[in-house]
Amino acid sequence: MNKYVKDYLLRGLIFSGLGPVVGGCVYLFIELSGERLVLNGYEVFLAIITTYIIAFVHAGSSVFPTIERWSKVKAMFVQLLSLYSVYTIGYLINSWIPFKIEIIAIYTSCFIGGFLLIWLFAIISSKIVSNKLNAKLMNIKNQQK
Amino acid sequence: MKCQTIIDEKREEEVLIYAQKRSSLVDEIERLVESNNLTLKGTKDDKIIIINPLDVTCFISQNNKVFALIGEEQYKIKERLYQLEEMMDENYIKINQSCLANIKRIDRFSSSLGGAIMVLFDNGYKDYISRRELKKFKERMGL
Repeated sequence: MNKYVKDYLLRGLIFSGLGPVVGGCVYLFIELSGERLVLNGYEVFLAIITTYIIAFVHAGSSVFPTIERWSKVKAMFVQLLSLYSVYTIGYLINSWIPFKIEIIAIYTSCFIGGFLLIWLFAIISSKIVSNKLNAKLMNIKNQQK
Repeated sequence: MKCQTIIDEKREEEVLIYAQKRSSLVDEIERLVESNNLTLKGTKDDKIIIINPLDVTCFISQNNKVFALIGEEQYKIKERLYQLEEMMDENYIKINQSCLANIKRIDRFSSSLGGAIMVLFDNGYKDYISRRELKKFKERMGL
């Protein structure tokens, strides 16, 4: 089996169980906030399965940026597409967002904005660390000369 | 510190250090001699070669087999990665679950899109520092 497929499945399986836990916490907070929430068995089942799949795909998608033969832009795009698809389909079939163009447009903007912001933070953080490590490595090499 | 090298084929090879006190230079010479004494057996195409760990860019584990990367070549060795970690001096550090890197063979570090730090070795080999090992790695590098 391809190394990346194996990594995808492994990461997905490790973290997929967190999906229903997060989903349960969200329902708990909604309940605690005083909102009256009534769900039937079908809705609960759908929510559990959806959050499980979302967490699986979310964790598995973290493999895309590690595929070396892909460019950074391609890896980022595939990850964004994968996450956007699973979240949007999951939210729509559970009616967590209404099926209205304007609402989906706002949701999409927030999703892409949030995605880019997280990546920007991750890239800047790792750039700072790699610069510091390069400076240290230079020092070590200079000491050895 | 004076330095003298005597080439004598008949005598056993030894390094003697006379120092007034222990210093980083003494430590470094000791480490160098110790690591020079340590050798590993590597195999490639049914040929067995003696490997000096100082020449190894990194040790990698692939499909339950451990390899020593020396330049462009890859030699299979029988020791496991955790055994090598214990055997090697402080110039070797684990960067992820399947790579033990020789710091002296690291060319530079680079940041990746995923937020991970990539290590680029002098032979062109690339590998990532895992999140689990990053803290220890930074400490070892003095950060």
